[in-house]
Amino acid sequence: MSERKVYVLGGGISKMAAERPDGAMRDWIVEAVMEAIKDAGVEIKDIEHATTSYFSDHFDKQLKGGAIFQDHIGMCPKPNVRVEGGGATGGLAIRNAYAYIKAGLCDSMIIYGSENMGRHVPSDTAQEFIAYASDFDWEFQIAGFYIAYYALMMRAHMDMYGTKEEQFAKISVKNHRNAMYNEYAHQPMDITVDDVMNSPLITSPYKKLDCSLLSDGASCLIFATAEWAEKYCSTWRQNPTIEFVGTGCGTDAMRLADRPWPYPGIAHYRAKRVASQMAYKMAGIKDPAKELDCAEIHDAYSGTELVSYEDLGFCGLGQGGPLTNDGYFDLGGELPCNTSGGLMGMGHPVGATGINQGVEILNQLRQEVHPARQTLIKTGLGLTDSHGGTGTFVGVNIFRRVD
Amino acid sequence: MTEDKRQKKTFPKLPVINDLPPKKRGLVTTKLQVFEALDPMGPELHWMPERGKADDPWKDFRTIERIQIDQHITYRHSLGKYSKFFLELENKKFFATKCPKCGQVWPIPRPVCPNDLTICKWVELPGTGTLVSHSVSQFIPIFMTDRVEIPYVLAMVRMDGAPKTLFTHMLKNYGKEKDIYDGMRVKVSYSNKPAPHPLLLMWFEPV
Repeated sequence: MSERKVYVLGGGISKMAAERPDGAMRDWIVEAVMEAIKDAGVEIKDIEHATTSYFSDHFDKQLKGGAIFQDHIGMCPKPNVRVEGGGATGGLAIRNAYAYIKAGLCDSMIIYGSENMGRHVPSDTAQEFIAYASDFDWEFQIAGFYIAYYALMMRAHMDMYGTKEEQFAKISVKNHRNAMYNEYAHQPMDITVDDVMNSPLITSPYKKLDCSLLSDGASCLIFATAEWAEKYCSTWRQNPTIEFVGTGCGTDAMRLADRPWPYPGIAHYRAKRVASQMAYKMAGIKDPAKELDCAEIHDAYSGTELVSYEDLGFCGLGQGGPLTNDGYFDLGGELPCNTSGGLMGMGHPVGATGINQGVEILNQLRQEVHPARQTLIKTGLGLTDSHGGTGTFVGVNIFRRVD
Repeated sequence: MTEDKRQKKTFPKLPVINDLPPKKRGLVTTKLQVFEALDPMGPELHWMPERGKADDPWKDFRTIERIQIDQHITYRHSLGKYSKFFLELENKKFFATKCPKCGQVWPIPRPVCPNDLTICKWVELPGTGTLVSHSVSQFIPIFMTDRVEIPYVLAMVRMDGAPKTLFTHMLKNYGKEKDIYDGMRVKVSYSNKPAPHPLLLMWFEPV
């Protein structure tokens, strides 16, 4: 592999909300890009390449949205590619930026992501659009809503390891609370385990407050080589220097039923294990729980985050529940996870979600987030975990502060 | 403390905006709403209404029109190389595919075995199996209501004769919810009622 190093110069977010009636994807992406440009201290005219990150063609009734976004941010006639992998779309877009720069196809890359999930269609139609990401003939026909599958996966985990509903309810409490210190978050809430347990039962064991959100919003990240940054980035070496040090990607059978036993069976995310091991190897990480300062986890449901701790190798299989109980992943804990609020607190506009995670890790490592959610930066390593379907696509990315 | 009181949002909830009556739609037959968008709006995130409109960077862009779009799409959907499975459900038979090379039987059939990229053969299974995991949904999206009952039980079943992977379908006629347990024996039941998708010609129920 080439010796080129890739750096994260800046990021921007256009506010997450249940509904952004002021516009649509193109408007929010323009806003996120305006913020990222300012944050990075660069000019759009100098950036060489773009990656477009959105998941569904249904929500916006628009094919080839990347052409619109590229045009609206003043990037034409420069190159642009779209990346798509369901909920992992944003994480794969970050990986794409690394790959293109590392390969020497460009020295700088802007990636922007969004999803128009809000209330252009009723919530039920939104569920249907999302469920098109399950196998149409074999899964969608009998349960065209993802929670039925995720709930069943969590029940399998509970049976195998004795994981308790109160344990993953704590993750909902944590993520909603973390979102209170994030002005971009969709659903900051100060709640208790009882509030989660008493919220309406959707699909056992998941209650309403165990679920992530349908959000509007957009986000953007800018990557470049050191040589490019020295030439075009006015804040280079003034801002803390954040290097992109690891990336991994994994996949699994589209249908949960088709996965091998005993691992992953229907309780675990094999794609996540593969992706994270790949990223750790690249970043030289031996013990992620000890070496990472912070991580953003794809908490589509509260239990998903708990199982992800295990498959990301933060702890042994079955240890996610007890460690959650002990506050291991809370602010002030050993490895704070989803300091942004995650998909439950910050929001989940699918194509933006993985990039949101990257912006959070960037700002955590720079020590620029709200003091109440700032983690202690010791090794300067932070991880994002971006996940699609029932774990069919996973992208894991690792940033490191190097100044 | 109630859930609502605990909720501390950075921005106020958006007011409910009523749709325009047909008479007030002007020249646009599909016009639903014309309204002033509040924050959140754009990168000048710290602009708040109480600071006055003078320094609102988006003041020229806050009037929003919303219209209705209707799309109806009809597909001529092919079930492709999986068609035999679906056609045999009408004969009340449960077919799987078997790889002649590695011997694995795929209860959700595959024309080609992904283990070794070998073309499979159809084999009939008895249609019995063991419940491995399930979920019970109290709410289902409206578009599912024409095909399933509430509460809705999604079941993962290890089919007899296909031990390596599972088959996914709904569980019906289980009596009481508490009577469902992982490890229980189940069988495929076939429908005589017309259905909009052939997969709906079957479901699982206790043996």
